[in-house]
Amino acid sequence: MPTDTKRVRGPELSQNPGLFACRPAGVVHATHGPRADGRQRDQVDVRPVFVRCGLVSQAKGSAYIEAGNTKLMCCVYGPRETERKDETDMKCGRLTTDMRFAPFSCPERGSWIQGSQDKDFSLMLHESLQPALCLHKYPRSQIEVNVMVLENSGSVLAHAVTCASLALADAGIEMYDLVLGCSIRQDGASYVVDPSYAEENSCSSVSGENQGGLTVAFLPSLNQISGLQSDGEMAEETLTAGVRTCIEGCYKLYPVIQQALAKAVRRAAPPPSES
Amino acid sequence: MAAVQVSEAEKVYILHGIRDDLRVDGRGCEDYRHMEIETDVVSNTDGSAKVTLGHTAVLVGIKAEIGKPRPMVPDEGYLEFFVDCSANATPEFEGRGGEELGTELSNTLYKVFNNKHSVDLKSLCISTGEHCWVLYVDVLLLQCDGNLYDAISVAIKAALFNTKIPRVHISADDEGGKEIELSDDPYDCMRLNVENVPCIVTLCKVGHRHVVDATLQEKACSVASLIISVTHKGMVTCTRKVGGGSLDPESIFEMTEAGKRVGKALHAPLMKLLQQEESLGKKHQKVGFLG
Repeated sequence: MPTDTKRVRGPELSQNPGLFACRPAGVVHATHGPRADGRQRDQVDVRPVFVRCGLVSQAKGSAYIEAGNTKLMCCVYGPRETERKDETDMKCGRLTTDMRFAPFSCPERGSWIQGSQDKDFSLMLHESLQPALCLHKYPRSQIEVNVMVLENSGSVLAHAVTCASLALADAGIEMYDLVLGCSIRQDGASYVVDPSYAEENSCSSVSGENQGGLTVAFLPSLNQISGLQSDGEMAEETLTAGVRTCIEGCYKLYPVIQQALAKAVRRAAPPPSES
Repeated sequence: MAAVQVSEAEKVYILHGIRDDLRVDGRGCEDYRHMEIETDVVSNTDGSAKVTLGHTAVLVGIKAEIGKPRPMVPDEGYLEFFVDCSANATPEFEGRGGEELGTELSNTLYKVFNNKHSVDLKSLCISTGEHCWVLYVDVLLLQCDGNLYDAISVAIKAALFNTKIPRVHISADDEGGKEIELSDDPYDCMRLNVENVPCIVTLCKVGHRHVVDATLQEKACSVASLIISVTHKGMVTCTRKVGGGSLDPESIFEMTEAGKRVGKALHAPLMKLLQQEESLGKKHQKVGFLG
């Protein structure tokens, strides 16, 4: 386990008091009850998002997204000249992604050192964004995308993908299309779209089949899937239906993101001169 | 993964061949290469297996240790995966070169086994909240010729089948603390039920068709691949798209369906082979590493 020698850490054996809270006996996570925040089950009911571009003045492009309580921000630096001069860099640009969680973002305190889960998210982000960028237009260059999760309240990867593609568009990097992310949690026979943290991590006491989560990154106007990740245990038909639902969720989000981007461009553009 | 340089003419040749369901080595699009499996190769482990798939060779060793269970699930043991890309495979893996690939492989393995049914974790519990069995699954890549995920998952299934966990008894000693006693008989051990352990199938999209068990040359011609892990019942435990290209939703549905079919068909002959090897007992000829 990597240890952090630069910061003063608490005692090794410190634990979250939440672990000792007594859970009421017989908490059966109602699989057919209403969701905690009033949204519908089995329907494409994504949380309303708030997005704003251009918040970080020093970055080439940046974006901030809030969906329910999930808050993330993304900064894009580049295209910059790349230090390593491999053969491949001569023909097209290189994309580096980095996704980090603030230690206070999750209910359990995380560490500043990147765990393997953070690296996994960064890799997924990289795979989801790469097909959308016109990297062949930036030879010998490097584009850096940094996502910081400020509060994790469910479906973090999906919103990170959306935020990162907005930031890339804000930075003026040429792209084929925006990449939107949507995630779904399957619980028995019903599913919930854009799950919150509690919904994502609930283990239903009925250990039935068909329990899992799925995240899809989608390019809406090209109708291509650039990222797909699922875990848990699901039947193949459920998986297929879940992918279709996520695609629908992405289409619902598309107009909001487009509007936010248009607003940001209008704000940045100088007013027409009086002549 | 170690990449090969493939010329444009070769790419076109491979593409046209796959379009007509004929690959460079004569296989069909959904055929595996010759696979060899041997268990119990390393005597210091509690379970081990070596799998050779074409020129890809993978060695898995499992060691069972007694540890403290996770706070959220006090009545279950757990598995820890670690994949090491040995410098023997390619010079690129020397030093920290293979670390990125190793992390990616182990993260995917964690996701594949992240469900209630693959391994019965409750059977790994010794005493609730205090002691449990932790299975350290260490994967070593000896040779790399494409299709690492499939070879690793088959090796893990074989090694888990081969794992012999010693039986322990908890007794209270004089001061009221708990003492762990290992049983005296070295053959008195617990075996794991690997019926539900999934196998991973990698499907590479080459041109308009997909291929199973791609070699490095075929991988160089593909834009993206889909990794799907399937149990013997046909349930999908993990899917992941890898590669820098994008896929059409219809292709993904086609590939999941093919992956499920191929994965389901892989389990029955594998279990038969493992049981056959087990039944030979002392009589089976050890092939080892040089055979």
